[in-house]
Amino acid sequence: MNVPNDNKNCETCNCDYTLAFLVLRLWLAVRAILTGLEKYGAYQSVAMPVIDPTTGQPDSSGVMINVNIKHYALANYSGIPAALKDKFAYEPLLPKFAVTLFDHVLGPAFILSGIMLLLGLGTRLSLFVQGLIYVSLTVGLILIGRDDGISWLGIHVALVAFALILARHNKLALLKKW
Amino acid sequence: MVKPFIKSLINRREFIGTTAAAGAGLLLTSCSNESKPAPAAKKSALSAINVGLVGYGMEGGVLSESLMNLMNTGDIKVVALCDIWDYARKKGKNTYKANGFEVNDYENYEDMLSKEKDLQAVIVAVPDFWHAPITNACLQAGLHVYCEKMMSNTLDGARSMVKTMRDTGKLLQIGHQRRSNPRYLFTLNRLLHQANFCGRLTAAQAQWNRAVAEDFGYPKHSELSADKLAKYGYKDMHQFRNWRWFKGLGGGPLSDLGAHQIDIFNWWLGVTAKSVVASGGLDYYKNHDWYDNAMVIYEFPLAEGVARAFYQVQTTTSAGGGYFEMFMGDEGTIKMSEDPSLCAIYREARATAVSWDDLVAKNYVRVKETPAADSAKVDVRETAQLQQYEIPVFFNKPPHQPHLENFFNAIRGTAKLNCPADEAFRSEFIIHKANEAIAAEKKLAITPEDTEA
Repeated sequence: MNVPNDNKNCETCNCDYTLAFLVLRLWLAVRAILTGLEKYGAYQSVAMPVIDPTTGQPDSSGVMINVNIKHYALANYSGIPAALKDKFAYEPLLPKFAVTLFDHVLGPAFILSGIMLLLGLGTRLSLFVQGLIYVSLTVGLILIGRDDGISWLGIHVALVAFALILARHNKLALLKKW
Repeated sequence: MVKPFIKSLINRREFIGTTAAAGAGLLLTSCSNESKPAPAAKKSALSAINVGLVGYGMEGGVLSESLMNLMNTGDIKVVALCDIWDYARKKGKNTYKANGFEVNDYENYEDMLSKEKDLQAVIVAVPDFWHAPITNACLQAGLHVYCEKMMSNTLDGARSMVKTMRDTGKLLQIGHQRRSNPRYLFTLNRLLHQANFCGRLTAAQAQWNRAVAEDFGYPKHSELSADKLAKYGYKDMHQFRNWRWFKGLGGGPLSDLGAHQIDIFNWWLGVTAKSVVASGGLDYYKNHDWYDNAMVIYEFPLAEGVARAFYQVQTTTSAGGGYFEMFMGDEGTIKMSEDPSLCAIYREARATAVSWDDLVAKNYVRVKETPAADSAKVDVRETAQLQQYEIPVFFNKPPHQPHLENFFNAIRGTAKLNCPADEAFRSEFIIHKANEAIAAEKKLAITPEDTEA
């Protein structure tokens, strides 16, 4: 009687791991895709009439108000936030060409690795790439002394590492290899 | 002499325009600030209003920017321009030409009136002492008139303008352009009146402090002849170019700079001052007639009690925050200016009646981040630091354009004038009275009857 129970428990156990990995995979994928997309986003100030709440019509005075509206475009792309870029410019251990290259690839790398992870196209590979991205970001933050950011990135790296441990339970994937 | 001229001007076009305007006017309810302006779609079928511009000095140039915007939309057509100074006249004609508009140019308004038979409106932007003669002549010629402030360099001149407006039935808008400024209208209607965010108004303060500036010069080759200067009332070219500072021609800084802001006292407080006391003097400039600085205190009899309004104009320093009008109440203060960067709203710590969160949610005000107050008080009688808000609204037109639009819409019958001459006269009176109070060195009483033309 014990054996079937053990088997049943083991099946449940495997199912839990599978679901746990799926949730973690989804979280990391969404995190990476949206972080990459945000690098193409920018707020644009758009003048709009002030609305009279009682009538729902533009205020009779004709005044306008600037409303910040977010939009996405390739032209908006900025891999490394401007404030950080300025700090990196004075960092001797970060050569300018490396910062420029990293700035160019960061967004696309996030999106690509995120999509791969979401679809299960080379799950381990995409997790490893994301791990490297978070490590590289950590290097930059260490050099400019942003300890709070380093902690956040450390959590991300831990999650990626945990996902790699659970990767053997990967079920819903387009390509199980890699 | 005048009657045949008027008759010639009342042509078919004018008849259609007047009839349309009158018809539309009958449909209009009161166009107070609380009323909704007529939507653009209600414009009558009138074609572009033909306009003559009298004077292409600094103000004429500023107004032309807005006039050309309106010409681009087809609302109006500036067909004639006159200025006694060849240099300014050519400059004006060339400016219009450079923007794709041909205008006929004349030396004076009499030439313009005798030759331009299809005018419907005239913009008067000449020195103050010419306002009354030109405005009266144009009104009597059957034209609607937009006249720059001050109405006149004399109260008699201003009164005559109101009388002519009434006698002829034509429109006379005075160029207190803040009265049509959407930001001013919004703040007055939504915040001061509707939200009552100031609570009880107890004081007002306004100022225009301007740094020392050289008097206007002129290119040597462009001097007017002595005969022409004398013909038009000037002693010499310096006086012609700097008429604002000479008695008999203009009214000095209180009139040139203060007029707009003292008019805001009357407009926003909703009553006219009952007294004025003032001090000023000609202490800096040696070649002017009028006071170069003045400090004025008015008493306004509000329903809740007297509110005192302090106004100062300085032409020797720009310190003190530039130019603004500030209305102070027991719950809050609003600081307005034509320069949006100088505007602010301050909320008293004790204010509870107004839902400021509601105002923020409606986009009527925006919280301004202020540095944390120093906890160490210098004096135990200090009150808490005021919470500062911004007025985030704006409009994207030159400052004079809404007032001109209001004038032209009134001609079309789709709006009521925001600053008709009889209303402007109330401000005109108390501004003249401030100059008088400086000379008299005593407090002068003002009665409601005084301010009615």
